[in-house]
Amino acid sequence: MEDFFTYSVILGIFVATFKIATPLLIAATGELVAESSGILNLSLEGTMTLGAFTGFLVANETGNLWLGLVGAALGGGAMGLLMAVMTATVKVNQVVAGLALNILGLGGAFFWYRSVYEEGGAVAFPTVDRFQTATIPLLSDIPAVGEVFFDQHWLTYFGILMVPATLIFLNRTKYGLELRSIGHNPEACDMRGVGIISRQYTAVIYGGVMAGLGGAYLSLAGGNQFFDDIVAGRGWIALAIVIFGNWRASWILAGSLLFGFLEATQLSLQASGVDLPYQLLLALPFILTIVALVLNRSRSQVPLSLTIPYHRGER
Amino acid sequence: MSEQVADAPQDGPRPDDHEAGAGRDPLSMLLQPGAWRLERRLHTRPVHELYATLIALAITAVIIGLLVIIVGVSPLDAFASLYEGAFGNRESALETLVQATPLILTGLCAAIAFRAGVWNIGGQGQFIAGAIGTWWVYDTFPGLPAPVLFVAMFCGAAVFGAVWATVASVLLVRYGTNEILTTVMLNFVIDSGLSWLLSGPWQANDTPYSQTERMVESTFLPRFFDDSRLHLGFALALVMAAAVHFLVRRTNLGFELRAIGVNKQAASYKGISVGATIIAVMAISGALAGLAGAGELLGLHHRINFEFGGQAVGFTGIIVALVARLHPAGVIVVAIAFAGLLNGATQMQVGTGIPAALVDVIEGVALVFVLLAAVACRYRLRKIAHHG
Repeated sequence: MEDFFTYSVILGIFVATFKIATPLLIAATGELVAESSGILNLSLEGTMTLGAFTGFLVANETGNLWLGLVGAALGGGAMGLLMAVMTATVKVNQVVAGLALNILGLGGAFFWYRSVYEEGGAVAFPTVDRFQTATIPLLSDIPAVGEVFFDQHWLTYFGILMVPATLIFLNRTKYGLELRSIGHNPEACDMRGVGIISRQYTAVIYGGVMAGLGGAYLSLAGGNQFFDDIVAGRGWIALAIVIFGNWRASWILAGSLLFGFLEATQLSLQASGVDLPYQLLLALPFILTIVALVLNRSRSQVPLSLTIPYHRGER
Repeated sequence: MSEQVADAPQDGPRPDDHEAGAGRDPLSMLLQPGAWRLERRLHTRPVHELYATLIALAITAVIIGLLVIIVGVSPLDAFASLYEGAFGNRESALETLVQATPLILTGLCAAIAFRAGVWNIGGQGQFIAGAIGTWWVYDTFPGLPAPVLFVAMFCGAAVFGAVWATVASVLLVRYGTNEILTTVMLNFVIDSGLSWLLSGPWQANDTPYSQTERMVESTFLPRFFDDSRLHLGFALALVMAAAVHFLVRRTNLGFELRAIGVNKQAASYKGISVGATIIAVMAISGALAGLAGAGELLGLHHRINFEFGGQAVGFTGIIVALVARLHPAGVIVVAIAFAGLLNGATQMQVGTGIPAALVDVIEGVALVFVLLAAVACRYRLRKIAHHG
């Protein structure tokens, strides 16, 4: 047990916390914007998987990682577009539409991957030359702090930057405030002449793009290949983080870091062979999310019309 | 005037219509603003839903066929090979039924909850809870005679599944927490719980793997035929489908759950206790998924290992229920069809080189179009009559 609390292990946990939190943070800030417009996009898991794949595919075919990110954004955005068509236009039940697209995203990625890379029943498991960490000069030389905060991937900085950006967008810009008012009271917005459907499309597609980028972190920065279980529940965790953070960007950052920290601790506990049930740490984020749902119920910031489709002139 | 009558719909333009240009051909009538209107049907008949579902499945077949052409295989070969692997001979047809067994039960689990407007996404967790309950009874009461033990194990599975679902329903009724989110979270919680049990208290002594011991042979579910794995669980699943149909259609609880599924507020004004009904429905729903866990454990695997939940039958059950439009009989049909896809996909991969993952795409596309069709059949196109 003493071995566990060494400087290098604990530093390693903090470094890993940010790495693990990155895809969650990117996907969750995107989902926050989508949910603000009143559309619950449950398909994050499938969207992230498809994004991880399309990102990998483009990066592997072109040899350019940045084009890979564009590919991931397109893949995720396409899923967001489908979700928007089904929920904002056709007004299929959002839960059901999300579950359907989840399956479609997962299945699409698995199938597409195999039809490109499978030869005679076996997959070659190609790899890409993944993103290196972007070391910030001078600042990264600070002991401990430098390694944790200033020697991470570009996508990690991007994810953290998206927190204030989302905060300002949703609270300080006209478009963001309109989005949130659609999420709370679409009827009033409709009467004011605020176009509901176009804004919902924008928000949901944006959420899809961010989920795709979150997935691409896994295949292009955190790892260097695509495999079926690459997202491994992170889409659902990102959804949980939005709830855990009570639909506020700053708390979503805290939630992502907490989830990342628990996962990092769990991994290094397992690696160090300390005899503690690491499964408890695995389950803890989900239990905490349920507890947060119960505790926040009276001051919940949930968009009031979340999952309720808006039909003009109908009740 | 006379030649256009054949083209025009029955309630089309009459000769005394004032708008002379309106009735020349159906296409221009469709494009002319105000001439046709998309309007809600007041009443959707089951036959509309059936047609809409069939059309959606036909569109799915066309899209999958195009996808197969893109991959470079003739769609006819692909579908023939898929069918051959699924239902082509006695052996594969029976194996399809083996794989349909858990899907029928998890499909019913989703269907009954969705009927009541309760979004139980936790079928997967309740399925695992059922397996845990089965093993717990087996492990705790080793001395029971075989018939009693079977009953006790199935009861254990149903109770564990029901309890796991009830966690979410109590939170929903007591605190109003969204059951979609809690059931999803609970799926992950029980995954970790199972992983702990398998690597700790329940780990078999003779292996380094995270798995339980193999169950003794007297607990194996009887099989129908010598040459197939088809076990008694399939019959149980059919009985449960009939029971769910009876429950939903013929009992007070069934009436109440349909009522709260349509309109919770109206149901409560009518004197129905919404909370009690939700708790009862979720318990039944969880119990059905739990039974699926018992069936898989006692009929096929005989031990719980890390891959036990790997088939994700809980999630596939949701798709089955939705494609079946929440009808118990439909659940049986769709579960067998989906099991056939899963079963046939292996043969298709060997025979034509198309990745078996095509099945996931088929499931996703089918569900998307069935959902769109379900909305579409609530509407109809109608000519607005002009009375001069």
